[in-house]
Amino acid sequence: MKRTTTLISIFSGKSAFIKYCFLTGCFIFTLSGKAQQTTLTAIGNISGVPAEMKQSELKAVLMGETQRWKNGKRVVIALMKTNTPLGKTTSTKIYDMSGDELNKYWLSLVFQGKSQAPVFFTSVSELQNFVSQNPGAIGIIDKPVAISDVRSVIIDGKASF
Amino acid sequence: MKIKLFFTGFSLFIAAISYGQSTQIRGFLDVTGAYNKKATFGFGEQDLYITSAISDRISFLGETVFRYDSEAHSEFAISIERVIITYNLKGNHNLVLGKIHTPLNYWNDTYHHGRVLFPTIDRPLLFSQNIIPLHTLGAGFEGSNLGKMKFGYNVFVGNGLGSSEVEDNDRAKSVTVAMHIKPVDRLRLGLSYYYDVISAGADVHGMDVDHLVNQHLISASVARFGKKFELLTEMTTALNHTDTTGTKTTLAGYIYAGYKIKEKYVPYVRYDNIQYQNGEMYYTKNNRQSFVAGFRYEINYLAVVKLEYQHIANEFGLDVNKVTAQFAIGF
Repeated sequence: MKRTTTLISIFSGKSAFIKYCFLTGCFIFTLSGKAQQTTLTAIGNISGVPAEMKQSELKAVLMGETQRWKNGKRVVIALMKTNTPLGKTTSTKIYDMSGDELNKYWLSLVFQGKSQAPVFFTSVSELQNFVSQNPGAIGIIDKPVAISDVRSVIIDGKASF
Repeated sequence: MKIKLFFTGFSLFIAAISYGQSTQIRGFLDVTGAYNKKATFGFGEQDLYITSAISDRISFLGETVFRYDSEAHSEFAISIERVIITYNLKGNHNLVLGKIHTPLNYWNDTYHHGRVLFPTIDRPLLFSQNIIPLHTLGAGFEGSNLGKMKFGYNVFVGNGLGSSEVEDNDRAKSVTVAMHIKPVDRLRLGLSYYYDVISAGADVHGMDVDHLVNQHLISASVARFGKKFELLTEMTTALNHTDTTGTKTTLAGYIYAGYKIKEKYVPYVRYDNIQYQNGEMYYTKNNRQSFVAGFRYEINYLAVVKLEYQHIANEFGLDVNKVTAQFAIGF
């Protein structure tokens, strides 16, 4: 009851400053929530990368655990840099790691000679171009695309996840 | 000889560039400050490694270490740590040629000279006391992430201990067979076996071996690097047989545990133990135990600061107590 009264007093215009702060806070909270909920889409070069995959298969590919596609093409991984918002979401959502953890993971794997390092990009358009020009390349972006030589990969029956 | 290997690696590097393939040069370095009755500063190995995709199926990895060596003319020595040419046969199966980190143990194969990746400042005694052969030069096969259990294997035939970088010193070959599984994320279980015949008169780690030694090494490892808790433990049983002493057993192992307070702060402990059987002739018998307690601050994935206390109890010689700080970087 008391809490309801407090909220009413804020909206009643007693203090424009408090009202402004409250609304700004709500706006920032909404934005931050939205950033965490960004959907991801896997895109792949039409040569090698299958049209559909399971989430577990995608993770294995992006962890460097799959060296070749079924047609024999080498897997080439394209990711957004981990200091970009999309790169952060990719690290968290797909790898279950922070950006630093993901970079360390790849540093270790490459140092061991177990895998080729992914190619990291600062812009989605650069990543898309790379995937379109490299057979066997797979990348993660935020929404499906329709450009030549690139397909959006359906993951567990969905275009985005 | 080392120069020959260096030029082999360098030629592959140049070849990769001329093919327009992706080639990267990276490295590791560390600076330490230690206190053991007196304060002292120093820098460790400067490790440079090159990775290159030569073709769609051929890749190259070369690793060269520059380190202080009081006996070298320039007081620095160059060591070719790895020269690996990998040919992808099919899927996750590869043919491997060259000088590799013997894939007997998790630490040796995973970290080796990458001190920014080490969970502690120094290697466990298992590796610093020459219990296992750190490198092998030869050829073999490897596979990884096969099936649901993510099974991996290494089968490698090499020149063996006592050989030089360019030729074998005897007819015997070393054999390494290793396997591991990763049943869940962030967990790896490994088991390995190594066999070698070390000829009488061979020079191993700067020591002459007086008698022919048949060596069997059996190792097991558990590595669990979770989001909070870190556990790494390895145990090696070494069976060294000579005609005069029979078979002598050495047990060497360590256990490391760390806990991430936050993502960047990790207090940790490590316990090492090496026990030699009386009459051991191949190793220099000196039973040792070590206890390490430290704190790791990971500034980012390329810069790590560690502060550590270590107590080493020796069967022969004085015990060691030291405090060491290390700033390790990758570049």
